[in-house]
Amino acid sequence: MVRAWSRRATSRAKALVTAVSLVALVAGSLSLFSGAAGAAPTTGVTAKSITIGATVPLTGVAAPGYDEIAPAMNAVFAWVNAHGGVYGRKINYDYVDDAYNPSQTTIQTRKLVLQDNIFADVGPLGTPTQLAVQGFLNSEKVPQLFVESGCDCWNNPKAPYTFGWQPPYTVDGKILGAYIKTHFAGKKVGYLYQDDEFGQDFVKGLDMEIPKSSVVSRQTYDVATLAGPLTSQMSALQAAGAQVVAMATVPAATALALLPAYEIGYHPQFVLDAVGADPPTVGPLLSSFTSKGGGSASQASAAVGLLDGIITNAYLPAENDTSNAWIQVDRKLLQNYAPTVWQKYGLDGNTEYGLALAFTFVQALEKAGKNLTRQSLLNAISKDGKSFDTPGLVPLTYGPNSHFGFQGDSVVQISSSASPIVTPNGSFPGVVQLAGPYVTNVGKGPVKAYTAKSSQPPAKLVKTA
Amino acid sequence: MRLFVNVTLGGIAEGLIFASVALGLVLIFRATNIINFAQGAMAMLTTFIAFSVLGRGVGYWPAFVVALACGLLLGGAVQLVLVRPVENKPPLNAVIVTFGLLILLEGIAGAIWGNTNRSFPAPFSERGLVVGKTSIAFSHFDVFIVVAVLVLAGLIGALFRFSTLGLRMRAAAFAPEAARLLGIRVGRLLTLGWALAAVAGALAGVLVAPTSVFSPSYMDLILVYAFTAAVLGGLDSPVGALVGGLVTGLVLAYVGGYLGGALEPIGALVLLIVVLMIRPEGLFARPTARRV
Repeated sequence: MVRAWSRRATSRAKALVTAVSLVALVAGSLSLFSGAAGAAPTTGVTAKSITIGATVPLTGVAAPGYDEIAPAMNAVFAWVNAHGGVYGRKINYDYVDDAYNPSQTTIQTRKLVLQDNIFADVGPLGTPTQLAVQGFLNSEKVPQLFVESGCDCWNNPKAPYTFGWQPPYTVDGKILGAYIKTHFAGKKVGYLYQDDEFGQDFVKGLDMEIPKSSVVSRQTYDVATLAGPLTSQMSALQAAGAQVVAMATVPAATALALLPAYEIGYHPQFVLDAVGADPPTVGPLLSSFTSKGGGSASQASAAVGLLDGIITNAYLPAENDTSNAWIQVDRKLLQNYAPTVWQKYGLDGNTEYGLALAFTFVQALEKAGKNLTRQSLLNAISKDGKSFDTPGLVPLTYGPNSHFGFQGDSVVQISSSASPIVTPNGSFPGVVQLAGPYVTNVGKGPVKAYTAKSSQPPAKLVKTA
Repeated sequence: MRLFVNVTLGGIAEGLIFASVALGLVLIFRATNIINFAQGAMAMLTTFIAFSVLGRGVGYWPAFVVALACGLLLGGAVQLVLVRPVENKPPLNAVIVTFGLLILLEGIAGAIWGNTNRSFPAPFSERGLVVGKTSIAFSHFDVFIVVAVLVLAGLIGALFRFSTLGLRMRAAAFAPEAARLLGIRVGRLLTLGWALAAVAGALAGVLVAPTSVFSPSYMDLILVYAFTAAVLGGLDSPVGALVGGLVTGLVLAYVGGYLGGALEPIGALVLLIVVLMIRPEGLFARPTARRV
């Protein structure tokens, strides 16, 4: 009896083992089979679609201006989708709000990756926010592409899935510093910068070019506690006799610095990082300063007075350069494929940025080929990124050892005599070219003039945008 | 010397703005022992209403009056609808109610007007006055700030000190039970106290907006510094609020001008700690027989 039971138990156990090993074998051979066919499904990619995502500020302090970028990117994707997609795959762009809050970025990015199964995180915005998820995205092997920030930190060998895009702030600082050194030789220079990676990287670049002896004052502000005019800082720069003031400021801080300078009759040559110098973004913040109550018609023109003459850097064509083929394409894309964005913002620095970044991504997809995988995408950027056609004034610098995008700028000046930038929010002074474009790097490399021609938009885009 | 003058003047202008918000905090604290965390958000809302009125092209002064009038109504309404039900509850209830109101009002303003940064017009030029041949960091608009805040503080002070209504309000705040026995309608007077405080806030709102970047959250940091000012002044003294505001503004300006702008918030913190160590009840607090 006992033996009979134990025999039955043994045979049952045997059957179980057999069944398990059968299932395992079947599963194994299936996976072998699919591996042999080379069609292991890539997360977020089907025969008909590619799903990408990003976290961007749509609410909160950083939202004004920056909330235009992702909707503008969608204009490019809508155009791509209307013309057959990339190798037949349509692009779905799933961008979500993180309010520029790193803890929100972490939550939302996990959701995008683990729940929405995105193929890549494309065009996520911010330094502190993206640093918070850089490790997660790299350990999940999700490409973190074209981070919207000029931190040096996107070029990190330990983060092979992360790529920067806009010029590092250090490069901006070096190019503007070199310009100050040659064109304002012997003048006293002062700094006003945001006391974080943004301002510190910019100043690092300035200091590589401008002799220490000519820097007479270094003023800072804390962006988290920016409440009122920066009167103390501007008074200190004035008292130190700074004739040139180089600033790394966000748009709100630009306004809060120009106001007290105007108040105390301080008119140095301002040299600003492009982050805080887009006229359609800063103009509305200044419009009332010089006008007396009400009167909106005169407000835009009053703002011209404060912005006029500011020197800044540019890595994309000027919004007012309507003869530029890229600018023409940009305007048509927004009008036809993102009409609400066009009606609300027109082509300003932020929407132009979004379009240019989306062009870059679409080219990377095309180069990655029909059998799209995350690795094939990264390979395409590293191998062919240098030759992508983008609106950039200088070429991208991606390579096996470089995850930096653009590493060059032109030096431009905001001028009331330039043809204006007209957006739905008013008419703002445009820029004129002063010098450049220049290329350099974040290290000790020299600032060199870039003389080759910039790329043109693909014919298909020009014809059908 | 010029740096010192400009930094000082900038500090005075900013300090008086802190003072006007602090004044509202103090009026409410005196009357009801509540810290109104929504003081800044209420000012923001009335300023946005003024902004809409301005957009209709009626000119600055009608919009200014509208802002103050809306402040009066909003303050009264908030007290009647939201604060009265929690008045005799544990103090934490009121804190949560006013904090919730702050979030609610900023959300409403964002939904109606958007979270965009804008600029708000000033009634007078923001170009600095010219002394000798140099412009100083004090504009016609700054003169207006000084006059407006001092007039408001003077009116409120006079109301409390010289009018029967003010006497009743003080009685209602100081000894509500006794006042009620003497036939004073304590509830109504508390509503009036909130309304007046909101007017002080509304004034601060329209004064801050032109010198700041105007958005639904533009009063948040002002409120933090105004709170510092109110605590410095002893939380229940209008004169203390004025002085506290000025001291806070000046300390921030000197730290910004001489030590570095990024250190300003630390300057305010150190100031608060030092004052509270030397005089824990604040600079101008009245003797605390009440707090037994």
